[in-house]
Amino acid sequence: MKVNKEESMKIEDLKKLRNEGVENIPSVERRQFLQFGLAITGVFLGGTVLSLTSAKNVEGAVSGGKILDGNYPYNPHYTMVIREKHCIDCEKCLVACRKTNNVSIHGYRTTILERSVPVAPGERERIFMPILCNHCNRPPCVRVCPTSATFKDKVNGIVRMNISKCIGCKTCMAACPYNARFFDEEIRAIDKCNFCYDTKLKESNGKITACADACPANVRVFGDLTNPETPAYKLIHSAGKVFWVLRPELNSMPNVFYVEK
Amino acid sequence: MILENKIDSNFITFGRQEILFLVLAIISAIGLSFGAHALLVGHDNVFGTSREIPWGILITPYVFFACLSTGLCIVCSLGQVFNIEVFKPIINRTAFLALITMATGLMCITIELENPWRVPFFALLSPHPSSNIWWKTTIYSLYMIFMVFNLLSLFMKNEKRARIFAIIALVTVTMGNLNMNSDMAILGGRGFWSENYMPLYFLSLSTLTGCAAILLFTWIANKLNNETASKAEDNALRATARLFMILLFGVLYFTGVKIMGGFSPQFTKNPEAMFLLVQGDFAPNFWIGEVFLAVVLPLLLVLITKGKNKGILAIASLSCLIGSFSLFYHLVIVGQLIPHYFQFNVVDLPKYYSYTPSLHESMITVGAIFFFLAAFMFGEILFKKINFGK
Repeated sequence: MKVNKEESMKIEDLKKLRNEGVENIPSVERRQFLQFGLAITGVFLGGTVLSLTSAKNVEGAVSGGKILDGNYPYNPHYTMVIREKHCIDCEKCLVACRKTNNVSIHGYRTTILERSVPVAPGERERIFMPILCNHCNRPPCVRVCPTSATFKDKVNGIVRMNISKCIGCKTCMAACPYNARFFDEEIRAIDKCNFCYDTKLKESNGKITACADACPANVRVFGDLTNPETPAYKLIHSAGKVFWVLRPELNSMPNVFYVEK
Repeated sequence: MILENKIDSNFITFGRQEILFLVLAIISAIGLSFGAHALLVGHDNVFGTSREIPWGILITPYVFFACLSTGLCIVCSLGQVFNIEVFKPIINRTAFLALITMATGLMCITIELENPWRVPFFALLSPHPSSNIWWKTTIYSLYMIFMVFNLLSLFMKNEKRARIFAIIALVTVTMGNLNMNSDMAILGGRGFWSENYMPLYFLSLSTLTGCAAILLFTWIANKLNNETASKAEDNALRATARLFMILLFGVLYFTGVKIMGGFSPQFTKNPEAMFLLVQGDFAPNFWIGEVFLAVVLPLLLVLITKGKNKGILAIASLSCLIGSFSLFYHLVIVGQLIPHYFQFNVVDLPKYYSYTPSLHESMITVGAIFFFLAAFMFGEILFKKINFGK
């Protein structure tokens, strides 16, 4: 009983305080609060609600969301936004990737996973999820490479390979959380997505990748996060837009984002 | 000159031990020839590894022998560095075993690489100091050099110089051991190694296997040479047996933590892998290998005989080494079997990836083990001839 009395007294004390209101909060703080809220909402919607990630992953996801503070470390800072529910699994992106980059038949740089997601009791929804290298800002694969054969491009942030330095230890494959790498016996080195760095991206003057170009449903939206005019930028900077990254708990800060539409 | 004086007139004789050495060396060569073949045709064609399971069984002998070498170096340092009198009679053999186990481990990891010839160039010309693998390889290579100088100094009866190299080797190999743990723990997609207790567990396991190895191989050496251990050597082995017993209790505790992780997710950072290990498909391997052979049986044997029967101690040590080998196999493989996108309700994604060692991988592993045995035999033959073993 004594405890209840003390508690009620505290509430009474609080009631006596003057309400500061929200009108005096600086706009910068408001925006940060909004962005933080969006990140959390995105993570919860893209994660826990849809059973993508377990609850303990949320903490990592919030810190992973730091990428949205407007300070992008590269210029251009390439990204790909996947409009997941538009994907019909036509696989034109996979064909374009293989053809453009001369990818070995023993592996792939990108693929499409078919998901069966529970949406209501007894009901499931089919979703096609394209996956590729996430070109993380903190790439675990780059961290573990003993000879710097895989590295983060200092200009544009693309995780690239110098195949002549690859010793074939496959530690980067073991470290990659996205299964985005494979060992190509033909070149005796690791092969992976490099956003078509030496092929389509070069030809298009940094505008588009082969997979994004080939997609008939505009699922893969390639862009530059330092350029607010690009559709990719707009997709993840619209107020109320829910987006998420894969496996945020690892805090690798991926640069491939997922939105519903 | 000193070495030459010690070599007796029967140096070139060919007896039972030499034949045994040849047999071991031939088996080793057969096994390792599979490695040469794999290098020529590419690992994808002959190994059981895949895009999803890039690290196969060959990592196991590497980790096993590297940890064994660490343990042997620690046991060696008890007499050589810390001047504990009772351990001094086993310094020579322990130092030699520490050297050949590390050589075997590094040989395994070299064969496991697809392009090993690039290592000497790019490890030096394009080093990556953020990479634990780079540090580990560099540290273990330096450690081997220090151990060679340590052994040479012991040959030449220069104990002061040997002790300096032993101190450097001890510091180096301890760093390497902790680095190996970090190397595995930072593999982002695979959290199996990143438990908080891993550094201490690794060091305990290494010292445990080191004790087991010196107990077993001293017994084997005495049997091969038809000798009985001297009183000083006997005391050293008894002291090692006591240390072995204490470490068995320590590793038993860590095994208990693992079991708890397998049954309750709150005790582990990777509940899926721990469940697979303790209750899933790997449960028979875990309970027989990691629990019974590595810890329970050796502990029972040591306690029952009070560490006095050297034959039983050798059996306990062999059991511990076999169990530890399976433990390291689990550490490498089980974490990788959890699919990358297991939380995403992916259609047709297996519950667990699968991996079975191929003939080539198995033969290379056998080749590596026999390489170590052949090197041990070679050492026994050589040291007997130059009167270095004790």
